[in-house]
Amino acid sequence: MPQLTIDDHPIEVPTGTKVIAAAEQLGIMIPRFCYHAALGSVGACRLCAVMFLDGPVKGLQMSCMVDAQDGMVVSTTDAKAVDFRRQVIEWLMLHHPHDCPVCDEGGHCLLQDHTVSSGHAIRRYRGAKRTHRDQYLGPLLQHEMNRCIQCYRCSRYYQDFAGARDLSVMQIGNKVYFGRDRDGTLQSPFAGNLADICPTGVFTDKPSRYMGRRWDYERSPAVCIHCSLGCNIVVSARYREVVRLEARFNPHINGYFMCDRGRHGYTYTSAAGRPRQAIFEGQPADVDATLQHAAERLTSIARMHGLAAVACIGSLRSSVEAQGALVRLCNAQGWPAPAFFDDDERLAAVQTAVAQQHAQVHVSLRAVENADAVIVAGCDPIAEAPMLALALRQAQRRGATIVVIDPRPIELPLAFQHIPLAADQLAACLDDLITRVGTVAHDPGALETGSPADPLAAAADLLVRSRRPVIVCGTDLPNVAAIRQAGKLARVLRENRDSGLFHVLPGANAYSAALLNRGRSMAQVAADIAQGAVKALLVVETDPFHHLPNRKRLTDALARLELLVTLDYLDGPHTRKAHVFLPSTTIFESGGTFINQEGRVQKTAGALQGGTALRLVSNTHPPRLYGQGIPGNQPMPAWLMLSALSGESAFGSSADILQWLAREVPGFENLKAAQPPTGEDLLLDSAGRSEIGRHCLDVTSESPLNPPNSGGGLHLLSTERTFGSEELSCRSPQLIELESTPQARLAPSEARRLALKDGDRIALAAENGFYETTLKVADNMAEGTLAVGRHCHPDWPWDGRHARIADRSIKKIDQRETKINP
Amino acid sequence: MEKPLTRNMLPGRGPFSLAEYEKAGGYQALRKALTTMSPSEVTETVQQSNLRGRGGAGFYTGRKWSFVPMGEDAPQPKYLVVNADEMEPGTFKDRFLLEGDPHQMIEGIIISAYAIQASVAYIFLRANYDVAYRGLQVALAEAQAKGYLGENILGSGFGLTLLLHESAGRYICGEETALLNALEGKRAIPRSKPPFPPVVGLWGKPTIANNVETLCNVPHIIFHGAEWFRSLSRSADGGTKIYGASGKVRRPGAWELPLGVTIREILEEHAGGMRDGVSFRAVLPGGASTDLLTADHLDVPMDFNAVQEAGSRLGTGTMVVVDDRTCIVGLVHNLIRFFAQESCGWCTPCREGLPWLTDILAAIEKGRGEPGDIEILRQHTHLLGPGNTFCALAPGAVEPLQSALKYFEEDFERHIREQRCPWK
Ligand SMILES: Cc1cc2nc3c(=O)[nH]c(=O)nc-3n(C[C@H](O)[C@H](O)[C@H](O)COP(=O)(O)O)c2cc1C
Ligand code: SF4
Ligand code: SF4
Ligand code: SF4
Ligand code: FES
Repeated sequence: MPQLTIDDHPIEVPTGTKVIAAAEQLGIMIPRFCYHAALGSVGACRLCAVMFLDGPVKGLQMSCMVDAQDGMVVSTTDAKAVDFRRQVIEWLMLHHPHDCPVCDEGGHCLLQDHTVSSGHAIRRYRGAKRTHRDQYLGPLLQHEMNRCIQCYRCSRYYQDFAGARDLSVMQIGNKVYFGRDRDGTLQSPFAGNLADICPTGVFTDKPSRYMGRRWDYERSPAVCIHCSLGCNIVVSARYREVVRLEARFNPHINGYFMCDRGRHGYTYTSAAGRPRQAIFEGQPADVDATLQHAAERLTSIARMHGLAAVACIGSLRSSVEAQGALVRLCNAQGWPAPAFFDDDERLAAVQTAVAQQHAQVHVSLRAVENADAVIVAGCDPIAEAPMLALALRQAQRRGATIVVIDPRPIELPLAFQHIPLAADQLAACLDDLITRVGTVAHDPGALETGSPADPLAAAADLLVRSRRPVIVCGTDLPNVAAIRQAGKLARVLRENRDSGLFHVLPGANAYSAALLNRGRSMAQVAADIAQGAVKALLVVETDPFHHLPNRKRLTDALARLELLVTLDYLDGPHTRKAHVFLPSTTIFESGGTFINQEGRVQKTAGALQGGTALRLVSNTHPPRLYGQGIPGNQPMPAWLMLSALSGESAFGSSADILQWLAREVPGFENLKAAQPPTGEDLLLDSAGRSEIGRHCLDVTSESPLNPPNSGGGLHLLSTERTFGSEELSCRSPQLIELESTPQARLAPSEARRLALKDGDRIALAAENGFYETTLKVADNMAEGTLAVGRHCHPDWPWDGRHARIADRSIKKIDQRETKINP
Repeated sequence: MEKPLTRNMLPGRGPFSLAEYEKAGGYQALRKALTTMSPSEVTETVQQSNLRGRGGAGFYTGRKWSFVPMGEDAPQPKYLVVNADEMEPGTFKDRFLLEGDPHQMIEGIIISAYAIQASVAYIFLRANYDVAYRGLQVALAEAQAKGYLGENILGSGFGLTLLLHESAGRYICGEETALLNALEGKRAIPRSKPPFPPVVGLWGKPTIANNVETLCNVPHIIFHGAEWFRSLSRSADGGTKIYGASGKVRRPGAWELPLGVTIREILEEHAGGMRDGVSFRAVLPGGASTDLLTADHLDVPMDFNAVQEAGSRLGTGTMVVVDDRTCIVGLVHNLIRFFAQESCGWCTPCREGLPWLTDILAAIEKGRGEPGDIEILRQHTHLLGPGNTFCALAPGAVEPLQSALKYFEEDFERHIREQRCPWK
C-alpha cells in the first residue's frame, strides 16, 4: 500500500488509488469536473491539476490520472497549480452564460462552486459567446446546452455506464454537443440520473424546474419504495410538497444512481386527489372519533358473526411498523391474520424466496455488480427492479457473462444470453443446471460431451468456471419449485465458489410481509367475502383493485360487506367504497422502516410536515394562506391509527413495534440490535433455522418440479413493466408520458400457427369477459407463452395474474376493411 | 547519392505495377526477411539502422517494435497500423510515397508485421487522398493475387490480412491513439498513455502504429543492412528523408535527401531559393506544428537532434518558408485557426484556449488588438504546453505562436500600436 504526503498530511491508500481519491480520504476535495467515482478518470477537464513536488512523478499533473505511489509529495495549494486551475475555470467560463439567477442548477452547481473558489473573477475574453440550440428530451429532463462545460460525464454515464445509445457527443472542438440526433424523449429508464451527474445546468430535473433553490428545500435522506431494492434517495420538499428526488450514495445497493420510476414516482404524496379527511357514515369526521367508530363497529361485527368474520389486508408498500401494528391488532383482537399478498402463488413464491436466504448466500446489489457470471431466472430486471439491470450492466462491463432464462422477450441495456423458456419449465431447467454443475464440479471433462450449441450446457460451463456467480430469481413468474431450485443452485455452487443468491420481490416491504404473513392471500379473502364468510374488511395502505386482476368480481364481493374500513394515502375505489376511511401519511411524512429484498433494514425519517401542498390551497406568490392549523393535516401514520384500534395493547412508539417484532416474530430477531445512526445497515437473517423459515418451507414442500400442463393452448402471463404497473408510480403524470402501450407478445411460430401477425388487434376470451390488446410478434421469447404487459388499472377477466388460454379463445379483431374502388 | 525511397518514381508516369516493382528488385527484402530471418532479427536490424519515426515524434522504430509482447503467450491478434493520415498543414511527403510507389510501402508493411508477428494490418488513409486510394487498391489486389498477402506468405507460415481504411477526415485522427479509436468506430479522441499501443492498442491488443515513410524504409534496411542504411545519412539518425518546401520559393516540392542536409541546402539547391521580389524571413522546419526558425538557423542540419537544439522540431521534415511580404501575425492566425478547428474537444485548454487565441489573433490582425493581448497569447504558449493538455495537438499548435512571439514580437506590437496590419 503506497504511502504519500498530500498538503503535508501523510496517508496510506490501496494500490491503484488515484491521487484525487487519496486526497478525498484526507478531506481535501481537489476541484474536478470530469472525474466521478462511478465513471472513473479520463483527464478531460484538467481542473484537478496539482503540483507533484517530490517522488516518482514531478511537476504539474492531473491528480485524477496519477496513481498514488510511495514517496509522492503532493501540493494542492502550490501557486502554479492554483493558477492553472484558475485558468481552466477562465476557459470554461469564456462561453458560459452569466445568468445563474435564472438557471435551475444555481445553488447546487459545481461550476459555481469551483468558479468562486478558483478566484477567477475578471473577464478577459472579448468575443461573442457560443450558443447552441436546446433539445426537447421528454418529460423528465430539461436541456440547456449553453451551460455545458464539456466534462463528458453525461455521455460517459449514458452510453458507457447505462448502456443507452440515444444521447451522445457530436461535433468536435469547441462545437461539441451533448444531445440526441434529434429532439425526442430520452429512451433510457435511467436518464433522470443525468440531472444528478451533470455538474452544471445542462440537464436539470424538469418537473421541479423553478420550484426552488437547494437552500429553500427541506432535504432529508429516505429510501425508494417503488420496488424491492430500496435504493437510497434524498428528498427535497418545499411548501408542503415533495418537489424532487435524487439518488443518495449507498455502497451496497444503488451506488450513485437510481431509476426513473423511483425518481419520479413520488407525485402521489402531494396529489390534488389525495384523501386527507377521515370519513364515516359519509361525513367528514375527526380521526379520533373515526377510529373509535371503526373499532366499535369491527368489534360488534366480530361479536355478531364470530372473529373470523373480520378480515384484514396489509400492504407491501407499508412500513414495517404499519405491517407489525396490523399483525398485532389481529392478534390482540383474535381476528384471522392479515393477508399481505395478492394470491396464494405469490405468497408461496415470496415466502419460499425469503426462506432460501441466509447470510452466507444472499447478496447485495453490489455483489451482483462484482459477479463474474449471473443467471437471471424468471425475472425481467428492467421491469421488476430497474436498478438490477444497471448492476448487471456493470457486471457485464467488468467481464461477467449474463444469462437470462425467461419466457418473455427480455430487453436489457447490455449484452446477454437469453434462453427463452416457458415459465413452467423453469424449475426443471434449473434442476438440470444443478445436475450438470454437480457432475462437472467433480469431473471437469463431463461438460465437453455437451454440445456447444446447447445453451444450458454453456450456462453450466459458465457456472463451473466462475468464481463469483450470482443466481438472480424473480417471484412474479417463477413457481415455488423454480425458486427452490434457484436457491439450491446457489447453494450447490457455494461448495466450491463464492456464489450468491439474489431475489427480486414484489414490493418495498415484501420481505417483512413474507415473514409476517401467516394466513391467506388477498384473493382468498375476496373469495371468503364473496361466500359471505367475511363481513368486515380492514384494508391498510393497499388497493385491492390494483392487485386483484378481476375487478368485477372484487366489486361484487365488496358489495356484500357490512363494513369496509380503509386506511390509505391513495385515492382509489378502495377508499371511495369505504364505509370508514382513515387518511394515513406517506413515507415522506412519517418515514418508517423498510426491509429490502436482501433483508437489509433501512430506517427513514419523514421529510416534510403533513398538510395539503401550499400550491393547492393558495395561488398567490409567494403562497400565503391565513387561518388556524394546516389544511389537510389530518393524516396520521398507519401504525399509530392501527395501534389505537387495538385499544389498551397499543404501541407507544414506532420503536416499540420493532422491538415487539424482534421479540415475537421469528425472522425479525436482528431488529433487537441497537442500530447505529450511520454506518453499516442491519441485515435480517431469516435463515431456514428460524420458525418462519420452516413454515415457509412447509408451505412449499409439495410442489412438483413440473406442474402438469393443463391441456394445450398458451400460457397467458401478465407481466410487470418499468412504468405503468407499479401501484404508486403508475399515478405519476411525468411517468405516464413515458408508458408504452401494453402489448401481447408472442413467438413467431405461435403467431404463424394462430394465423396472426404483428400489429393485429386481438381479443382474448375468458369465462366471462374479453381482454383486447395489440399483438407484438417477438422473436426472442418462449413458445407456448403469451406475455401481456400489466396495466395498473386492468380489466383482466381472469382470476389469476397468469392463466391458460385455449387457441380458440384468441380471436383477431377484424379492423374494418377500407375498400378502394378501381 | 542513393535515393532508395524514390528510385522507382519516374517523372511523367504512374506507380510501378507489381511486375515492374518486382523487376526493379521489389519484394526481395520480403523474401529475405520471411525466409532467412527470424522476427527478432528483423527488429534487431531495424534497431541497428537507427531508423527514427517519420511521423513527427522521431521515436526509434526498432525500439518501439521491441515493446511488443512476443512468443506463445502474447495476446492475439496483434496489429500493425499504418498512419497515412497526413493532415499536417504544409506536409505532403506521405502522399508522394503513396502515390509514387505503393508496393514499396506494402512490402514494408508485411516485413514490419512479420517482425512483430501481427496478423492484421490497417492502412489508415487521409480522407481526400483519392489518387493514393486507387493506387493502393490496385497494388493491394496485385499483392494479394501474388500471395504476398493472405495465408502462408512465401511458404513461411506467416500470414497477414492488410486492410485499407479511409479516414473520415480529421486532423486528430493522425494522433496514433485517436486513430485507434477511429478505427474501432469510436470518436477520434486520444487515449491516455500509458498503457502504450505496443502493449494495449487496437481493440486492446498489442499494436504498432508507424508512419508511411517510416515503413517505406524498412525493405531497404532489410535488403541492404543496417550499416548501409546508417551510411546514407549525414547524421546519427539513419537513412534518407523526404524533405519538402512550400511557400514563396522558386520550386516548391519534395526531395529525397540524406538525413541531415542543412536548411540552406534544401532551400537554395532544391527549392531554388526565394522567388524574385521576396526575401527569406523565417521557416517552419517540420510542418505547421513546429517552432519558427530564422535566417540565423539556415545552416542547421535537418536532423532530429540538431533542429531540436535550434529550438524547433524536425517534425515531418517538410518546411514552410515564410517570406518578408507575409504577415507573421496572419500566418500564425491562420495556423492556430486550423488547430482550433481540429481540436478534438476533449480537454479544456485546447478546446477553449485555441479558439480564444484565434479570436485574439484575428483581432490583432484586423487592427483591433489591445495592449494586454500579447500577454494572453504568451501565457497560452505555456498553458497549452506538454503535460497540461491531454495530447500533443495543443502543444504543437502553440509552437509557431511561441516562436513568433520570441522572434517577431515587434510585429505583434506594431499591429496593436498602429491598429492595422502593416503588411496590408
Ligand atoms: C495531433 C497529431 C497529429 C498527428 N498526425 C500524424 C499524421 O498525420 N501522420 C503520422 O504519421 N503521424 C502523425 N502524428 C504522430 C503519431 O501520433 C505517431 O507518433 C506516429 O504515427 C508514429 O509513427 P512513427 O513512429 O513511424 O513516426 C500526429 C500526432 C499528433 C499529436
Ligand atoms: S452536458 Fe453536463 S455532463 Fe454533459 S458534458 Fe456538458 S456539463 Fe458535462
Ligand atoms: S430500482 Fe427500485 S428501489 Fe431503486 S430507484 Fe428504481 S424503483 Fe426505486
Ligand atoms: S489537446 Fe486535448 S482537445 Fe486538443 S486534440 Fe488533444 S485531447 Fe483533444
Ligand atoms: S478531474 Fe482530472 S482532468 Fe477532470
